[in-house]
Amino acid sequence: MENDFLNKVWDTQDTSVPKFSANEIITKAKKHRFSQYVTITIISLTVIVLIIYAFRFAFQSWNSFNLGLFLMISSLILRVIFEFYSVYRKESQLISMDLKSYYAYLKNYYRIRLSVNYIVTPLCIIVYGIGFYLLLPYFERDLSKGFYTYILISGIASMLVVIVFTIYGISKETRFLKYLDKR
Amino acid sequence: MNSEEDFTKIYNAHASKVHRLCLGYASGNTELANDWHQEVFIKVWNHRKSFKGKSAIETWIYRIAVNVCLGDLRKTKKNSPINEELLSNTSIDDNRDDTDKNLKKMYQCIDQLNAQNRALIFLELENTSQAVIADTVGLAHGTLRTRLSRIRKSLLKCIKNGK
Repeated sequence: MENDFLNKVWDTQDTSVPKFSANEIITKAKKHRFSQYVTITIISLTVIVLIIYAFRFAFQSWNSFNLGLFLMISSLILRVIFEFYSVYRKESQLISMDLKSYYAYLKNYYRIRLSVNYIVTPLCIIVYGIGFYLLLPYFERDLSKGFYTYILISGIASMLVVIVFTIYGISKETRFLKYLDKR
Repeated sequence: MNSEEDFTKIYNAHASKVHRLCLGYASGNTELANDWHQEVFIKVWNHRKSFKGKSAIETWIYRIAVNVCLGDLRKTKKNSPINEELLSNTSIDDNRDDTDKNLKKMYQCIDQLNAQNRALIFLELENTSQAVIADTVGLAHGTLRTRLSRIRKSLLKCIKNGK
């Protein structure tokens, strides 16, 4: 009898299904897929252009400008590849695992992400910063004073923004990991 | 389930249950539940070709649903403790005059359960067969029965006494 009480209370929930239809879901899914393809295409094209540049120009006259550019780009690409791989793998586990396995997987996933965020991400930021530092003398020599100052300030500001976002991401994921560990 | 027509049939058959499951995980937050609901079925559509029929289609959909909700729980303020004011000195209202209050209390009590137990009780309350529940969460059938009985008892106790 008492058990029925739970069902009774549960059945008082709003029973209306969300307004969206199956067709709307399919349209959204297709849009979502399309934007994923666009992102992958843009990133792939950027990498191809950079590889062509490296082989055609940079490797033939190696200097600190090319080194700086190489450090900045490679640190970004490394981080982006990790992010994509991480998201792709999580999605494939989500659709194939039962809850118990997925729960264990999530705990491991966030532990790995934390070590990445504590070690790999700061390393990427440092390498990016070194690359940027190596480019500065060239910018100072070849650009106007005003534009050089703009690049200097915006470059430092964007790195600070990335650092703030990283710290925010770490604290969010640490909280969630604690929550998963506790339960 | 490759055609849009097949998907529509499956969507119409399971949308309501998935929505209520999401609503439970979101502690009644409709906006969040709608987001999760959409996300679940977008994944079902996007990955429909990877469904090989090793389990029932509903098991596959519920697995995606509980995994989506679990992975996104950080978006909720679920770690907040039970509102004592709401729970203290109130008894179960047999006349069902105050259904909202009872539902709110139920959400708060379910909130105290771990993610796995939450999925168990949501699916059970939606009258899902125990075989499907066991397959969805990855538990043996015997363990599931014992667990469900304990969860029901603890929920009743929590709703009655706030503990």
